[in-house]
Amino acid sequence: MTPVTDILHLLFTANLWQATLAAAVLLLLPALGGVISERSGVVNIAMEGMMLTGAFFGVVADLAWHNPLAATGVAMLAGALMATVHAVVSIQFRADQIVSGIAINIFAAGLTVFLVNRIYGLQDVGHVGQSELIPYINVPGLDQIPFFGKVIFQQNVIVYVALALLVLTHIVLFRTRLGLRIRAVGEHPQAADTAGINVFAIRYGAVITSGLLSGLSGAFLAIGISNTFVPNMTGGRGYIALAAVIFGKWTPGGAFIACLIFGLGQAIYDNNSIIHVSPYLLSMLPYLLTLVVLAGVVGRSTPPAADGLPYVPGSE
Amino acid sequence: MSTRPRPRSTPPAIRRLSRGLAMPLGSVVLAFVVGGLLVLATGGNPFAAYGALLCGGFGFICTQGENPALQISNTIVFVIPLITTGVAVALPFRAGLFNIGAEGQLLAGAIACTAIGIKFSSLPSPILLPMVLIGGMVAGALWAGVAGVLKATIGAHEVVTTIMMNYVAQWFLRYLIVGGPLQLAPGTSKSSPIGAGARLATVLPNDNSLIIFGLPSSVYRVHTGLLIALAAAAIFAFLLWRTSLGYEIRAVGQSQKAARYAGVSVRRTIIVTMLIAGAFSGLAGATEIAGVDHNLTDKYFSDSTGFDAIAVALLGLGSGVGIVLAAILFGALHAGGSVMQADANISGNLVFILQALILFSIAANFVGAIRQRIPGLARPPTALPPEMPPAAPLMTEAAAPPLES
Repeated sequence: MTPVTDILHLLFTANLWQATLAAAVLLLLPALGGVISERSGVVNIAMEGMMLTGAFFGVVADLAWHNPLAATGVAMLAGALMATVHAVVSIQFRADQIVSGIAINIFAAGLTVFLVNRIYGLQDVGHVGQSELIPYINVPGLDQIPFFGKVIFQQNVIVYVALALLVLTHIVLFRTRLGLRIRAVGEHPQAADTAGINVFAIRYGAVITSGLLSGLSGAFLAIGISNTFVPNMTGGRGYIALAAVIFGKWTPGGAFIACLIFGLGQAIYDNNSIIHVSPYLLSMLPYLLTLVVLAGVVGRSTPPAADGLPYVPGSE
Repeated sequence: MSTRPRPRSTPPAIRRLSRGLAMPLGSVVLAFVVGGLLVLATGGNPFAAYGALLCGGFGFICTQGENPALQISNTIVFVIPLITTGVAVALPFRAGLFNIGAEGQLLAGAIACTAIGIKFSSLPSPILLPMVLIGGMVAGALWAGVAGVLKATIGAHEVVTTIMMNYVAQWFLRYLIVGGPLQLAPGTSKSSPIGAGARLATVLPNDNSLIIFGLPSSVYRVHTGLLIALAAAAIFAFLLWRTSLGYEIRAVGQSQKAARYAGVSVRRTIIVTMLIAGAFSGLAGATEIAGVDHNLTDKYFSDSTGFDAIAVALLGLGSGVGIVLAAILFGALHAGGSVMQADANISGNLVFILQALILFSIAANFVGAIRQRIPGLARPPTALPPEMPPAAPLMTEAAAPPLES
């Protein structure tokens, strides 16, 4: 069979779309955080590092306490802690947000492996027991719908949470006063400040929220999909999430569509035994697609006006 | 405007020098202190860790019988690509562009060098060596050129495009040597070696019988790419300060509007700057293949030279000499990391933690903030040293450059 018919055949299996949604959610969580952070005017390329930190501490906590819920909480806190560093450095100290983001990613990659060696020596981190993973739950009734039941309603708990967060983020950003404030701070912080909005507080909140979401995604990866921590296990997903933010033109819905496209690529990649294209060539697709989008083929992708600019109170 | 009396004894030149160095040196010290505390907090001995790092990096105070000359040689091998990629990050900085794609450009250069070196492996060195080096430069330039063209024409932010190009290069490399056209044999993840004529000579003869500093001279892997790297740093300084292109690059970095009024084509400058930067990164990749590895291996899957280069460029304050010094520091850290792991049982990944701490410290100017709090060291707030380019807003034209140090 040719690669094209292979992929076409694959596209009609529910398994593929089930895997697509799971892979998409892994990207969606950090991407939602990225949307929130960048809407408030703080460029966030640190999702990768926050995710990795979350994954590591999630596994450590789960191995210690045998409680996936608590471990997920720890993972989110770890992500948030990393985000706080990014926030302090880039909001308080007005550092270059890109340098700070890169530093977070390098720091996370170094710290996690450093701590693996300190805590577990040269051995393996160890595996989390099946019963201590974040559970998969079939939604009763709905999971019997042909095709879609399997795709949408036979998923990990995190998938349902993420879909709810997607709706919530959209509503908060575009239908509430808080969302208006976040966007105002990201578009014109001086005007927002004049109107009595606390620019620093909004930006801190937005960046830390992105850390919580990235940490959650890290937990999903390490103690939901996988059952252990391996060095650099996020493998660039934080950067694909960043691509999804841009691809989706800084909207939650757009980012979700981008995540689905990238997730489909990942799912096809994972099914590489059936198809005959080099999986490595397929892995290039999300990045090439993002370049195509950036090149303006699908309309211009314009970020919030003050994205990346530190706010100096009293400046013009 | 300052009522604080200034010490009169120090001449202005020394004061300026100490001010210029305070930030990078202070940042390094700060990073080492925080890193040491981290080692201490996790039950390690920071002095043993840093002692082993010093031994591995510079051959000082080695306790486990390491050969100092070999350690220094290993450090230099790490330093070579760091200088060249450091230049590739520092040059666009001056134009207000943030090239975090040095890694992808390096891989493109390494791939091109390998492909040419295999394809024309029978050619003699005087022809083939320039071919593989120039081939690597062209490939790197094209890789960076994509980001340059997208920035200049559409306004797509170079940070995002270069990140994407990094990943495209990484996956393309995997494709090539795992099941792709450059794979040596099924089951391996490396390419066949490049021809003998495509290789850079080592500085010491590759001879097992010749004993230098107690070891056969073939173990010292320092290669003539060192001269290429030093030349790259010199060309960088010359280009930036002695040519009209350098003037245009700095002008665009200072203010695109002003540059336009002065008759500088901002678009052309952005594209040319990225092309040159990419050529430097590509050259780094080519010298790694031609000088060290002689084939593509899975080592390049986890290569981080292009990211280390960001720290090199920032710590080196964008000057040629500074870049070389910063590259020596990070080269020594990387070479020392493995010794630290072996001798002091502290993960070599501490090096990445230190690197990140240095980046934080420079970016946030912690040193300046600390100085402000120490009476007698504080300067008037107008004198904050903005060595960093202010963050460029995504996809707009505004971007300011680093001030000259």
